[in-house]
Amino acid sequence: MNKPVHKPVVASALEQAERRWQEAFDASPGAARRAANRSGIELKPLYTPRDWSGAHYLETLGYPGEYPNTRGIYPSMHRGRSWSQRQLIGLGVPEDYNARLRELLAHGASAISLIPCNSVFRGYDADEVPPELLGTCGTVVNTVDDMMRALADVPIDRVSCALNDPSPFTLLALLLVVAKRRGVAWTKITGTSNQSDCISHFVANHMFFRLALQGARRVLVDHIAFCNARVPGWNPLSVVGQHMQQAGATPAEAMAFTLASAIQYAEDCQARGMAPDSFLPRFTFFFDISVSFFEEIAKFRAGRRIWAKLARERFGAKDPKAWRFKFHGQTSGVDLTRQQPLNNIARVAVQAMAGIFGGLQSLHTDSYDEVLSVPTAEAARIAVATQNVLREEAQLTDVIDPLGGSYYLETLTDQMEEKIESIIARIDAAGGMYRAVEQGLVQRMIGDSALAFQKRVESGEQTVVGVNAYQVEEDAGAYPVLEYPARERIDAQLARLADYKAQRANAPAQKALDGLARAAQGSDNIMAQVVAAAEAGATHGEICAVLRRELGFGQPLAIV
Amino acid sequence: MNAPVTPVERIRGGDRRALARAITAVENATQEGAAIRAALAPYLGRAQVTGVTGPPGAGKSTLVNALVKELVARGRKVAVIAVDPSSPVSGGAVLGDRVRMAEMQGHEAVFIRSLAARGHLGGLSRTAAQVVELLDGAGFDDVLVETVGAGQSEVEIAKVAAHRLVVCPPGLGDDVQAIKAGILEIADAFVVNKADLPDATRTERELRAMLALRQNAAPEALPPVLKTVATTGDGVAALADWLAARALQHGRPAPAVPHTAPPASGPAALLARLIARDAYARHLGLELVEAGEGTATVSMRVRPEHINFWDSCHGGAIFSLADTALGLACNSYGSVAALIDSHMTFSVAVKAGERLTARAEEISRSRKLGVYRMEVRRDDGVLVASLTGTVYRTGKPLPNEASTGPAA
Amino acid sequence: MAERRPPKVIVTKIGFDGHDRGSRVVAAYLRDAGMEVVYTPPWQEIGAVVKLATEEDADVIGVSSLATDHLLVPKLMDALRAAGLEDVQVIVGGIVPPKDERLLLEAGVARVFHPGVALGEIAEAVRMLTRDRRSLLEGTL
Repeated sequence: MNKPVHKPVVASALEQAERRWQEAFDASPGAARRAANRSGIELKPLYTPRDWSGAHYLETLGYPGEYPNTRGIYPSMHRGRSWSQRQLIGLGVPEDYNARLRELLAHGASAISLIPCNSVFRGYDADEVPPELLGTCGTVVNTVDDMMRALADVPIDRVSCALNDPSPFTLLALLLVVAKRRGVAWTKITGTSNQSDCISHFVANHMFFRLALQGARRVLVDHIAFCNARVPGWNPLSVVGQHMQQAGATPAEAMAFTLASAIQYAEDCQARGMAPDSFLPRFTFFFDISVSFFEEIAKFRAGRRIWAKLARERFGAKDPKAWRFKFHGQTSGVDLTRQQPLNNIARVAVQAMAGIFGGLQSLHTDSYDEVLSVPTAEAARIAVATQNVLREEAQLTDVIDPLGGSYYLETLTDQMEEKIESIIARIDAAGGMYRAVEQGLVQRMIGDSALAFQKRVESGEQTVVGVNAYQVEEDAGAYPVLEYPARERIDAQLARLADYKAQRANAPAQKALDGLARAAQGSDNIMAQVVAAAEAGATHGEICAVLRRELGFGQPLAIV
Repeated sequence: MNAPVTPVERIRGGDRRALARAITAVENATQEGAAIRAALAPYLGRAQVTGVTGPPGAGKSTLVNALVKELVARGRKVAVIAVDPSSPVSGGAVLGDRVRMAEMQGHEAVFIRSLAARGHLGGLSRTAAQVVELLDGAGFDDVLVETVGAGQSEVEIAKVAAHRLVVCPPGLGDDVQAIKAGILEIADAFVVNKADLPDATRTERELRAMLALRQNAAPEALPPVLKTVATTGDGVAALADWLAARALQHGRPAPAVPHTAPPASGPAALLARLIARDAYARHLGLELVEAGEGTATVSMRVRPEHINFWDSCHGGAIFSLADTALGLACNSYGSVAALIDSHMTFSVAVKAGERLTARAEEISRSRKLGVYRMEVRRDDGVLVASLTGTVYRTGKPLPNEASTGPAA
Repeated sequence: MAERRPPKVIVTKIGFDGHDRGSRVVAAYLRDAGMEVVYTPPWQEIGAVVKLATEEDADVIGVSSLATDHLLVPKLMDALRAAGLEDVQVIVGGIVPPKDERLLLEAGVARVFHPGVALGEIAEAVRMLTRDRRSLLEGTL
């Protein structure tokens, strides 16, 4: 893209200088070492104006907040408003969650998130699953009553809420009912439906509701249409590269698959008659940030540029807001090690910096102990402190896109862009992401990359400190791990659910569930009926059961 | 009862672990394996063995899953052998086909075993034929054998299975040649799976055209081309009907069944169609065993849900079995006949797990009336119940059979 | 019994969690190490795993756990014993806190592997456990 354009006399001086350096370099120790990043791009030892000259600055980089947004989606980026500090939390019963939430808000968190218990993820109420698992890795929220307690004293009209809430979006429905009860207008509710990307669940981590893929596809489009009309401050879609990169995709693959999924969702919305300028501004993205520092920064900058082009050229969006690649980043748990776990604090800091230089809008930093157990409170506090240090002590936010113009980073951004676009072309050729995942193409690519990476670790080609280098004898039992919620608390939660079901008026709940089933059989908006069912007192598990029955039960399609 | 139970007794008694370990012994060609095979020999020949082959990606596993579901719904016990390729380099294998049968693998009437090809060519593992024998001897009604599907060297399935299905994905298009001659010749039927995809009709047409060309035979003598959508189950009942009709015609699987199309006409075909449409028969798990003009034999395995409060098979279930045989026998002429009077005598009680067979014989038949006698027997030949029935013959053609029934 | 058959290993996930990177990498590695691997998607129910182990005559079951699904493993061990499969060796890999590891070993799990373990070490353990199981079963058919 950036072919060097030099006057002959300059070129010759540069060439001479480069030749001198090359000879000196070749004579140096380690000159023969080859290096490549995780996406398979070969790295030279040095980049110069001969690699990237900035000749097409306006077309390829431009100014922050201007097409193609390579340097950032807002004019002021982190200089103006820092990223949201969004820690994923979720544990135990609603009261446990509420206590942790308030503590985090007091420590500077500016947005909240809710991770439900895996039973909720899978679409069941607490009384439908093995009790051993309840509340061990997320909060049990099944009813409006649960959501009221989870959000007690939380100003939901002021903090943005990220709900880990896959199709059919019952947590959002419960949140909207809580808002109604508290007299908060839905127009004041802001936040994001994380985990709304059903394709990523299907290929990578299978946390979706056991809705068949094509059923989940319809619910998603209904949900986008509902939110655009009724909850305009809500981001109904978060397209997720994180799952795929955690599952083993290279950074370039993860970005490409994410963009290819976004293309399908946008096409579905268009097919439903929505205008790109109305829905694209509410598309958001969610990525993993690995410890491969420059590669991650280049991944984000390339992704931002490709998305702007796609939005404007492929979908014809005219509103600059539709070109903005808004994303949340989470530091990669896969990079963390169980060995010498305090080293993870350093890894998380490097990952977070890559995300910040990559221009993210919100950030979750992992706790160092995530490979030991569900994070402890102390470890979660250090993770938040890491963000505070980077934001307020290290002066990372004073200059916008501070690494922009680096010969290396710009060359790498171009190369990543090329690689990502070639993978998108492959998916397009397979008939789009839905077809590609139904054929297993994407899963196979991810599986191959995961195994290849693991083999590089085993061979020592890729160092992992404490694992294949610099090992020390240590006692894993020396680190505190999170206690599981006491059995009595879970029993109490189960009793509360039983009470809730016993005491509510069953007729309206059943009537609303019937309405939901009819919507699923016909063409009415399903999300509107999910909200109506939640308001009428139906539980999460009941809503999911209706949709599983009507839209089909999804089996994970996993391929080795 | 103190004598040690032999592996064969355990296998015959439904011990799945003993069966699974015997399969391993056969795979490893041990003496124990050979001894078990020898001891099972008297019990062989009852299972319907169906081979499922076709190119990779045709949807063999999903079709097998759907077929298993249909057969189980008809009350049959089904075993599946899924053969996966082994890596030529490491010898290792990922046995992944059963993953696509997830829906049915938990069912108690289903037994699935994955076999690695271990470098054996021909689409099966070296020991697949012997494993089929074990499953037959263990008392499964159906054994489905899914081949590697790696290409063209799949003709071995012809030696193992009496009924051979070749699965084709739609959109083979001009590449219909990809299904090469060797496979074409072993096919008893072609199944165009994923028939909801746009190219399915064209594939079906091209297959028929190519078959006619290759085999130079009259259209009705060619293997049929059936269409299914395994993911939704569309067409799968028709496939099971076709298999049942073919099994009826061929009695039991024989290694070299002459190539013939399944019966499309005649009383056997008619009754196979009738029972396939009979929701109550399916609910009870009834199967048609034999059929002819004025006669029908139907069998049923007594399931837990047939048991009454004192732990025997409910008389109503036995009546239903005998009545179904009667209904089929008296409707075998293609016109509607209905039972107007019946008397039944019960001789012995029956326990869960036993198989009952009812045979209906015509005693007399006039223009308006028919009289039939039914006997219900256990597998050991003991008479369980007998029944006589009088039917009224309306003379009207059977609904939905007007154009295809024997009368036409 | 002749040692012709390579180790037959089930690689599975029980419970609710769906993160299957670990189980897929391990399955692919064991295949490349010459084993016959029966791989299942996540969310298997315990009864289904027992039926699978029975029908496949598996030597080893590997359970991968990222969240807290390992808490169900003692139930799996009970179910295997109840089905007469006490000879089948069970290994667990994933994020297992030390106190839970003790719990699993007491329940009869043969080995627990933690993040960062070399895949070769898992393969070696599977080979060893397969030998143990087969010598245990010698002549019992």
